[in-house]
Amino acid sequence: MTIWRHSFLLVAASALLVGACSGGAGASPGGAAATGGTSASAAPTGAAPESVAPASADPAASSAADICTNPPKAPEGAALTFSSYGGAYQEAQRKGWLEPYAALTGVKFQESEDSSNATIKAQVESGQVTWDIVDVGNDFGLDANADLLEPLDYTKIKKDEILDGFAGTYRVADITYGVVLAYNTDKTGGQVPQGWADYFDTAKFPGKRGMYDYSAGGIFEVALMADGVAPKDLYPLDIPRAVKKLDTIKEDLVFWGSGAESQDLIGKGEVAMSLIWNGRAYSAKNIDKKPVEIQWKGQIVTSDYFVVPKGTPNKDLAMDFIAWATCKENNGAPSKYIPYGPTNKNAPADPANAAQLSVSNVDESTAYFDDVWVVENAQLLEDAYQEWKTK
Amino acid sequence: MPRITGRRVSGGPSFNRWALLAVPPIVFLVAFFLVPLIVVSLRSVTDFPKPTGDALANYSRFFASAANLRVLGNTFWVAALSTVICLALGYPYAYLMNIVRPRLAGLLLIAVLLPFWSSLLVRTYAWQVILRDTGIINTFLLDAKVIEEPLQLIRTTLGVMLGMSQVLLPFMVLPIYAVMRRIDPEYTRAAANLGAPPFAAFRRVFLPLSLPGVLAGSLLVFVLALGFYITPALLGSPKDTMISQFIASAIQQRLDWGIGSTMAVILMGLTLAVLLAASRVVRLRDVFGSLEES
Repeated sequence: MTIWRHSFLLVAASALLVGACSGGAGASPGGAAATGGTSASAAPTGAAPESVAPASADPAASSAADICTNPPKAPEGAALTFSSYGGAYQEAQRKGWLEPYAALTGVKFQESEDSSNATIKAQVESGQVTWDIVDVGNDFGLDANADLLEPLDYTKIKKDEILDGFAGTYRVADITYGVVLAYNTDKTGGQVPQGWADYFDTAKFPGKRGMYDYSAGGIFEVALMADGVAPKDLYPLDIPRAVKKLDTIKEDLVFWGSGAESQDLIGKGEVAMSLIWNGRAYSAKNIDKKPVEIQWKGQIVTSDYFVVPKGTPNKDLAMDFIAWATCKENNGAPSKYIPYGPTNKNAPADPANAAQLSVSNVDESTAYFDDVWVVENAQLLEDAYQEWKTK
Repeated sequence: MPRITGRRVSGGPSFNRWALLAVPPIVFLVAFFLVPLIVVSLRSVTDFPKPTGDALANYSRFFASAANLRVLGNTFWVAALSTVICLALGYPYAYLMNIVRPRLAGLLLIAVLLPFWSSLLVRTYAWQVILRDTGIINTFLLDAKVIEEPLQLIRTTLGVMLGMSQVLLPFMVLPIYAVMRRIDPEYTRAAANLGAPPFAAFRRVFLPLSLPGVLAGSLLVFVLALGFYITPALLGSPKDTMISQFIASAIQQRLDWGIGSTMAVILMGLTLAVLLAASRVVRLRDVFGSLEES
C-alpha cells in the first residue's frame, strides 16, 4: 500500500497545483493590445502651431528641443525596465523606440511583456518597484491612480504637441489605435456593413458578433451609437438604453478576453463581425491572410499611455525616454511595424501604413472614450454589465 | 484518537528527528500560503473605494449585487454538475481498472493521467478547436451535409462540462480505485455463494464498501471545480460564469482589490463549509492524504 499512499500524496499535491493554475492562468485583457481614449474631442491630424515657451521656461524649453534629436547620455551602466503587452506590439515599440534610444543614450533596456495595472499596484504597495516605464491601457493613469504613479515631467515632455486630452498629470499617450468594427467578407455575402447599426442587424447580416468582454471596452458606447446616439453625445452613457439595445443581439454575442482571441474569431469566421482593436483586424488580414476588413465609421479612437510607477529609482531617466519617444521626430516610428499611430500632432506616420491608422480615419462618425467619466463610474458600469451579461 | 499532550519537543527519547524535515515545508506554507490568506482576508474588511466606517462595506457591496449572487450560485451548480459527471464516468472506469489484469490496469491508469501532461490552457483551447461553430465536429458534419446549421457545442454548459470533467476525472478515478483495490474479492464471492445474483452482490456488498472512495473523489472534484476560471470563460456562455472570473476581473481590470478579496474570502469560506460538512461523513485525511487504514 505504500506505493499507493505516495501516489495519492502526489495526486493531492497536483490537485492543489491545478486548482491554483485554474485560478491564475489567463490573459489579462485589461490591456492585451490596449484599450482607449478621452473625452476631449481631439484633432488627431492637423498641425498645431509651434509652442511659444514663456521666457521664464527657457531652459526647460531648450532642453525639450534638444531631447528629441540629442537626448542626454545615460550614466554608465544605467538600465531602464520597459513593460508593455508583448507580441508584435512590443516588437514595434522595441524597433521604433527602445533600440534607437539605447543606441543614442547608452541606456540598457530590460523588458517585461506582461503590463498589468495590478502588477503596478502590487509593486508600488510592496515598495519593490522594478518597472520604470509602463505602457498601459486607457483605463489607467488618471487621478484615481495618483498614489501609484509619478507625475510626469512636462518640462521635458512637450505637452502642447500631444493630441488634446491625451496628456494628463500621470500619463501621456504613446500610440493611438481604434476600437473598430471588423467583418469577415466570407460571412457578409458581398455587402459592406456601414457601422454599428449593421453590427446589431442580424437579419441583414446573419452570423455571430465578437465583443470585448469588458464593461469599459466599448460595449455600451457602440450599442448607443447603433441606437442613433451621436458620438459627441455618448457621455454620460445612457446605460438602460444601451442594455436594451444589447438585449436584441445577446444570444449572438461571442465574448473575447484577449486580442489574440478576437483575431482568431474574426479570421476563422466564427463571428461574422467583431468589435476589435484595429491592429488585431490588420493582423488577421495581413499576417493570417484572412478575409477581414475594417469599417472605420463609428470607430472609437483611443490610446495606450506611458506611466511611471511611483518610487522607481530611475524616474529621471524614464522621463527623458518618455519625452524623447513622444517627440514629433520619434513618436511615429512604431507605425512602421504595426498600424498604431502617433500621438504627437506633428509626428509623421509611416507613409506605407498611414491609411491603416486610426488617426488617419477620423471623421464626424468618430467617437472618443471619456476616460474620466468611465473611471469614475467604473463600478456602475461593471455592475450593469455583469447584471445584463450573466442573466 | 487520544490526544498526545505534554510530549517534549527537545531531549526525550520519543522525539522523532525526522520531524525536522517537516519544518521547511511548514515555513514555506506559512510564508507563501497562510500569510497571503490572512492579508487577503484583512483587505476584504479594510480596503474600500471610499473611506467608510463600516468594516463590512465590501460584503454589503457584494451581496447587494444580484449578478454576484447569481454567479456564486452558478459556481456551486457547475461544480456539482462536474462532480456528478466525473462520478458517472469515473466509477465504472475505476471498476474496470480493478477487475482487469494489472498490466492493463496500468495502461488504463496512464490513460487517465495522460491529460496531466499538457497544460490546462492548451487543453481548453483544443476543446475550442473541436467544439466551435467552425471547429472540427461542425465542419465535418456540415461538409457531410448531416446538418445545415452548426450545432451549438461551444458556449454551452455542455462545453464547460466536457472541458472540466476531462481535467477533473483523475481526481475521481484514483481515490475510488484505491478503495476498490482494498476490497477483498472474497466478499463478493461469498455473496455469490450465498445465492446473491451478480448485481445484488455488487449493490449490497461491493458498492457500500467502495463508498469511502466515492465520497473522497467527489469531495476532491467538487472543491477543485469551485475554483475553475479559464474553462468556463473559454468554453461556456455568459450564463456559465463562475466567481473566479469575477475575482480576476476585480483584481486585474478594475484594481478593486477590496471587492476581489471579499469574493475570495466568501468562496474560501463556503469551500471550508463544504469540507466541514463533508468531514462529518468522510475522513478528510482519506481525501487529501494517506488512504491507508489506521
